[in-house]
This record gives sequence, C-alpha cells and structure tokens, in this order.
Amino acid sequence: MRFADILHLCSQNLWRRKSRTILTVLGVIVGCCSIVTMVSIGSGINEMNEQSLKQMGDLTIINVYKQGNYDGAGTSDSTGAGQTEAKLDDKAIASFTQIPGVEGATAQMSLNYTVTMTADNGRYVATYGDIQAIDMSQLDNMGYKLTDGTAPTKDGEILAGQYLAYQFYDRFRPEGSNMRYQPQDAGDGTYWTCDATGNCSQVPADQLGEESKPFFDPMKTEITLTIQTGDDSSNGGGVTMGMGYSSGATDMGGTGSGTGSAGTTGANGANGSGNTFRLRATGVLKEDYNKGSATSSGVLMDISQLKAMLAKVDQSAAKTVTYEQALVKVADITQVSDVEQQIRDMGFSTSSYEEIRKQMEEQSRGIQLALGGIGAVSLLVAAIGITNTMVMSVTERTREIGIMKALGCTVRDIRVMFLGEAGFIGLLGGVAGCLISAVISLGINLVYLGGPGEGGENIWHAIVGGDGVTRLSVIPWWLFVFAILFSTLIGLVSGFQPANKAVRIPALDAIKNEQ
Amino acid sequence: MAIIEGEPRPMIEVRNLRKEYPVVDETVVALERINLTIPRGQICCIYGESGSGKSTLLNQLAGMEKPTRGGVRIGGVVVSRLDERELAAFRQRHLGFVFQSYNLLPNLNAIENVAMPLMFRGVPKSQRERIAKGILKRVGLGKRMTHYPTQMSGGQQQRVGIARAFVAHPEVVFADEPTGNLDSKTKVDVMEMIVAFARDFNQTIVLVTHDDNMAQYADRIVTLLDGRIVSDRLTH
Repeated sequence: MRFADILHLCSQNLWRRKSRTILTVLGVIVGCCSIVTMVSIGSGINEMNEQSLKQMGDLTIINVYKQGNYDGAGTSDSTGAGQTEAKLDDKAIASFTQIPGVEGATAQMSLNYTVTMTADNGRYVATYGDIQAIDMSQLDNMGYKLTDGTAPTKDGEILAGQYLAYQFYDRFRPEGSNMRYQPQDAGDGTYWTCDATGNCSQVPADQLGEESKPFFDPMKTEITLTIQTGDDSSNGGGVTMGMGYSSGATDMGGTGSGTGSAGTTGANGANGSGNTFRLRATGVLKEDYNKGSATSSGVLMDISQLKAMLAKVDQSAAKTVTYEQALVKVADITQVSDVEQQIRDMGFSTSSYEEIRKQMEEQSRGIQLALGGIGAVSLLVAAIGITNTMVMSVTERTREIGIMKALGCTVRDIRVMFLGEAGFIGLLGGVAGCLISAVISLGINLVYLGGPGEGGENIWHAIVGGDGVTRLSVIPWWLFVFAILFSTLIGLVSGFQPANKAVRIPALDAIKNEQ
Repeated sequence: MAIIEGEPRPMIEVRNLRKEYPVVDETVVALERINLTIPRGQICCIYGESGSGKSTLLNQLAGMEKPTRGGVRIGGVVVSRLDERELAAFRQRHLGFVFQSYNLLPNLNAIENVAMPLMFRGVPKSQRERIAKGILKRVGLGKRMTHYPTQMSGGQQQRVGIARAFVAHPEVVFADEPTGNLDSKTKVDVMEMIVAFARDFNQTIVLVTHDDNMAQYADRIVTLLDGRIVSDRLTH
C-alpha cells in the first residue's frame, strides 16, 4: 500500500469522527501549551538572570589577584597552599594575553599615596583623590565607558571620573556653601538634590539648577595633582602599589569626607614635600563600580604615566612594580571558565561572574525542569486521551479491519494506519499548541511589559526581546520544534497499543459479525 | 508462491480436512474427513443447512482459520500453513471475497470501495480508479459511482461488493451467501453477474449457500451435512 493512500485513509477516518478527534486534539493542545508556556517562562527567567548579570558587570572579564589577596565582586577560588607565590607583574600580564581565547589584559594599578588636587589656579581644592591606572589601549576592551571626550593619548592627559568635579570645594566661598552635591538619579526621570545642610528634594531632570552642577568642567580646567610623601602619611615610608578602593565613594554626594583627617594636612596646596603634576582631562568616564571608584570620583591614567609619576616620588619603588590586581578580557563567554582555570594554574586568584552565572543557570534550569514537569503531566493526560480514542476507534472498526484484512491489507499497513491516526492527532495538537502558546507567551509578555505601548512597540519587544527588555516568557525556536516532535511522538506511543490490538483482529471477523 | 498458468494441478485441493472447536469442556467437530478438488474455472457450490459446517469450510479454504488436521492448497500453495503476513499477500494476489452483508467500508464511496484491493496492492490512485469505474459500469452502477454505501440499496451495495471482489481479477472468488440479504429478483441479478464474471475470466468460484435456487447457478453442488460431504454432483 502506498504511504500517501495510508495518510489519506488516516485523515479520512479522523475527519469521519470530527468531534471526537477535535476533543482529543484539544487535550494534546492543552498539554503542549502547558509544556511550552512553562518552559518558556523558565527561559524567560534565564534571560532575566543573564540581563541582571550583565548589569552587574561584564561577564567576560576576569579579575586576577595576587595569590590570597582579593576583594571584589563574585567568587574566587584559590588554587590552594603549597604553591610558590606568583608575581603579578608586566611579565604575568603578557603571559595572560598568550592564553587562547583572551582578547586583552591589563594591570590595574593604584597610587597608595595621599594626594590633593587643585584646579583653576588653586581656587578649587580636593583633599582626596583616587588615582588609578590601566593600559589605556585596553580601555574599550575592558568595558570602560566615556560619557564625554576621548581616551588620552599623550603624557599629562587623563580621564576624569564622572563625578570627579564634585570632590572639589571652592576656597573663595564661605563654609556651608563651598561644596556642590551630585544629584542622585531617582530612576523615574527625576533627581534628588541635596544642599550642605542635608535638605533634599526631588526635581525633574530639566529643572536641575546651577547649584546642582559642579563648580567647573574638568575637561576645560587643568588639574594639578600633588602627591604627599610626608612622614605623616598613613602609608608610612614603604611604597607599595595597591588597590585604593574607597568604600565610602558610593554614598550620596561622594564628597570623600572619609579621608578628611589625612587630607587636612595638605589642604592648603603644594607647599609640603609633595611632587606636583599638571594634568588635563581628555574625557569623562562613566561611573562603574566594577571598575573601581576611580570611574566615579577619581582619575584614570595610563600605567606608564603613573609609573613615571611614581619614579619622581620614589625611585626604588618604581623599579620593582608589582600589581595587586589585573583584568583579563575573554573573547567568548563559553571560554571564561577555561581561561580562569589556566590563570589559577599559574598561581593567581581569580574572580569572575562565571560561577554566579553557572549557579543562576543551574537554578533556572531547575525551575525550567520543574515547570516543564508540570506541563508534562498534562501531556501525559493527553496521551491517555489519545490511547482512549484509538482504543475506541479500533473497537468500533473491528469489522472494517477484518474486511480490509480479508481483502488483502497487510498487517504492516494496518499498524501504520492506526499509528498514523494517533500520530496525526499528536501532530495536530502540537502544531496548534505551539501557535496558541506563541499567542499566550505574547500575552504574558505584553502584560508584563505593561500593555502594547505607543505604536505597538512593546509588541515587537514581547516577541523578540531586545536590549534592556525583560520578558517573562521566552520561546526559543527549538522549543517549538521539540514540542511538535514530542507531541507527535506522544501520539505514536499512545497509538502503539491500540494499533497492536487492531493488528490482532482476525480477517474472520469480517464474516462473523453479522449485522 | 506464484500460481503457474496452465498448471495441471487443480485450483483448490482439500485433503482429509478436520476442524474441531473447543466448547467449554467438550470438543465440537465442525468438519470431518473433507476431501475436495475444484478445477480452475469451476463454479462450485457448497450447499447445506445452517450448522452443516459450510461456512466453516469456506473459512478453512480462504485461510481465515487453521484446520485442526489436514490441509488446503490453492494453486499449489498450502494456505493452511501460511502466516499472517504471507496470507495477506496471498489474498491480495489471488483471492476475492463477496460477503452476505456486503461489507463495504462506510466512509468510502463506490469507486473507493471497489478500488480498495488495488490500493492494498499499491496501484496508483488514478489508475485504480479508472479500473474501478470500468467495472462499476459493468455492474450497472455507472451513475452511482460517487455514492456512499448508506446511499445505496442492498442490491446496489452487493453489486459494488461483486465489483470489488473481481476488480483485481483474482483466481478464486469466495462468495458467502451473497444473496442472503436480497429479495428474489435482485438475487437472480446478482447471481448472474457473479457467473458472468467468472466465465469471462475463467475464474474459480466457491459459492456457499443454503438457497436451492442459487445453487442451481453452479457447475457443481457439494452438499454438507453435520460436517461431512454427503453428496457431490455436477449440475449439467
């Protein structure tokens, strides 16, 4: 018998008992929908996790620390004791770039001296400065963003932290009004502004007044940096390079008041034993706490420049520079754990978002499995429905099957016929289920995004997502393929036993069963 | 398994056939020591009252049941030893059936019903429908080709059944009380039609009936009583 003829007979038989077929298909649709919807919500959770991780930091950047010295986000894993301590120096950085999959690497160097900064011929003074340096050629690679200007190219050029200018006070103004406070984004288009007395108010972005802006534009004003090397420095005589994170930098206003006691010693300018450097900002960094407080309230420069400055202050220290921390950028997210392992094998501590990402992925896989399981139960019920329908169909058609056998229909053809009917029910249910779940998914996302939006822009976002769009329900294309195949398979499996029953009906029944 | 044309062997040979049915705690013997030889082209009537075992004999001949003892050969093939798969293929090629209750498939129209045996053989749709239309015209249903069984009278349905039995030109056609459900005028039409087909293609017919008048259409009448052949005579 030709396969086309078998299919034709299948569809004819299904069509003959429309209502029963439709009801059975409906069962499969419900099962298919619940699986697809449930798994899609799992995928949605996955997507949201991914996006929130991205907001936390770049997932492809690994932080490298000197063994046993680390203080960053994420988790770290030491390679254990007993290993000789590896030096995190220029040689080590160069060796990182040799690891396959690494796009770039740079040391992160900080100045551990107390510094004061002045601007506009000493009128504006900051008693605290967070000075950091990286390899400027890696600026883009490492995910540093500029809000204004370009990266420095020459000696004496630097990048200013986004709120650097708020660190300065005006020596010509009276106490109480000699500071400007950085407005805080409230997240809804308005800003919180505060004055020196602590009175805060919320104003829209376009009504921010002059008093919310810093006294000067760091890109137009030369900044003079003075490094204090006096004996009163809390760092003592030893010169070390290290991380200079200021945990206080995140608080409102970010005035750096936490360093007040150290700062007062040099508050009145460069009359101490400091070395003075004149710097010009070519750009303003976007604040990013993953990159350190220098992006917010400090200064970022090229490593060679910081080394040169250090050499003027302390010749001996500059000759043997080792770093506390380095950044390694990996080309692809899938290679992160590999690269991380290799760096650890070299004797360094590392941290990245890889571990967190894995954990979150595992978690959402668990959720996905649980939700998919719930869906699977309803598909199981649908499978029982198919079996029931097919058993009834076989019973009803006992005589027909007998006739067909008597007329020379082979056992194989009869089996294929009934399996085909069952599979067809599964296939129909799968296809319809996928279409309906696509609509359900769209609906869920639209509700989640808060309506179709102006001009229906959210409809597009609800379907394909987008940057910064979080969807509750995400249906990857393979889920549709899987759902349709799985429904068909369920149909075939459910039809197996009834088909066997049909096959066993003897041709004799055609003659025996008199009307 | 092919039946060789012009073979000296008779079309159907039954040797020492016995069929028992177990009923609760005793054994009922339905057929006993049946020996029968039917040559090619003969219309053979198996005649008997109900319960004489004639339908049981037909089932053994057509391979629908396995005999308890003895064997049935059709065209040299021992049908009583074929398995399910071989039987299906054998029926496809060599056997046709006419049933008492027509046994048309209700969801197929006349053409599709007639073309069904050809479909099982894998004949393409256009070809098999052309053949089916030809034979339907011959049985006088040229105007009812697209009708469904429920839209036809008993006589018409049986004519479709006959067309179906002969459409693939099988060597042997089994007819089990083909006129059992029909009125006396239609009976004659149907019987004449079966005989005409058989003569045209030199086909062997095994006709089972308890109707004297119908038996007269056969070349030979084998009478069964209580599972034994009690008479075997030619009608002319």
